[in-house]
Amino acid sequence: MIEIRNVSKKFKKGWYALKNVDLSIAKGDFLFLTGQTGSGKTTLLRLIYMDLFPDEGEVAVAGFLSSTIKEEEIPFLRRRIGIIFQDFKLLKDKTVYENVAFALEVTGQSGRKMREKVMKALTLVGLSHKRNDFPYTLSGGEQQKTAIARALVREPFILLADEPTGNIDPEGSEEIIKILQEVNTAGTAVLMATHDIALAKKMGGRFINLEQGQLTTK
Amino acid sequence: MFSLREALIGLKRNGVMTFIAIGIMFFSLFLLGAFLWGTFNLFGIINLAREKVEINAFLRENLPEKQVEELEGKLMSMVGVERVEYVSKEEALDKFQEEIKDAPSLLEAIKTNPLPPSFSIKLKDGFTSPEKVEEISEKINIFDEFIAVEYGKSWIKRLDRVVKILFLFDILLGIVISFASVFVVSNTIRLTVLARKRTIEVMKLVGATEKTVHTPFILAGAIEGGVAAAMSAGLLYLIYQLTSKFFVEFSFPHNFITIGTIAFGITLGMIGSKLAVKTTSKEMRFESTDV
Repeated sequence: MIEIRNVSKKFKKGWYALKNVDLSIAKGDFLFLTGQTGSGKTTLLRLIYMDLFPDEGEVAVAGFLSSTIKEEEIPFLRRRIGIIFQDFKLLKDKTVYENVAFALEVTGQSGRKMREKVMKALTLVGLSHKRNDFPYTLSGGEQQKTAIARALVREPFILLADEPTGNIDPEGSEEIIKILQEVNTAGTAVLMATHDIALAKKMGGRFINLEQGQLTTK
Repeated sequence: MFSLREALIGLKRNGVMTFIAIGIMFFSLFLLGAFLWGTFNLFGIINLAREKVEINAFLRENLPEKQVEELEGKLMSMVGVERVEYVSKEEALDKFQEEIKDAPSLLEAIKTNPLPPSFSIKLKDGFTSPEKVEEISEKINIFDEFIAVEYGKSWIKRLDRVVKILFLFDILLGIVISFASVFVVSNTIRLTVLARKRTIEVMKLVGATEKTVHTPFILAGAIEGGVAAAMSAGLLYLIYQLTSKFFVEFSFPHNFITIGTIAFGITLGMIGSKLAVKTTSKEMRFESTDV
């Protein structure tokens, strides 16, 4: 599903954000990507959704290769990946429902089928009752759940989570991870980047660690 | 459908920004429209003045009618001649008396008619420059039937110089105003697009194609530009209505000003938005707190 082969990524003069990273993620995996701030976690995720390209090595995602993908193909790769961030990236001027539906509307979907998909995603994260609320009325945890619903509504094969619990209190954090685990049980692979190694260990599961751009544990 | 809805929602939910953008665009397009209108009327006045350029060829007296007719034919066939009008001795005197009617003592002094018959020769557009007029006059002067050929040399030269200066000034002003309005409008649009950066970011995140990302912004730009331009053209027309009493020579060419300004506003809005969303989209990396 995802193959990262001997990838290095340089920023500025000679400073490596990632160096000789090898990683493969299979269907249904749940993987914590741990490491301190600045260790290269976000860079690794950006390489997967092809917002960045490696200086050395290659990234292969769902049949797309970093070396050959064309710019106009990137949207089609992104449609197969769900992504969530620490800052949720919700649209303030849209309701919970509209935020989730937006992910389908931009690819031309509409009508009953779309509404069903949106409601299904909102039910999964337990927010169907808040569908008409605006993001600013929600707690951090609820906002992140909205973002998860938006990421899942396209039924991606993998969910990339970049510090999804960074802005949420500990209780909310565990709830978010539980949702991610449920998502994983339903068949979607999850790659969650976090600097909170203790939390990752507590929740269990496979984890890899980045230190100054290099993988230290597999 | 999605694009139009997004465009309208974007305009509505960012109301203040939309209002400011339309206001700034309105002001720029109004200046541009006023300039075009001014230019149009300036050329109208120049043309009026140019139409007054004529050559008067004075005939010897008592020429046979046939000879005069032949001469008229020859003048008509000359390059650059638009119209030839015969002015008889009597008509010349009538005209002269009309011109000096406020000085009765002069009128009384005229006992006989001293004025010769003449041809009044109008020239075609493009033949009214001092050089051309002089050239044609010299050709006319070759005929023995004329005792004198006049064309107000110094007046034409002055007119020509004024027209050249006005023309140069107008072009310079046009360039400055065009650049300024394009610059102001495109920067305003850029601000409105930047205000909706998050929308672009999310669209890219969930796999919208470039076209899907761009279209709502281009439509919004077209709407803003169109509304601002229509308001500018409306205000110009209002000003025209209010001032037409005092400046009867002024005209308001709807095709040129109204349609021109609106078309320009819409085009500017669309191109400005397209460029702004493209740059914003290209420069944008999914902002994150980490590397």
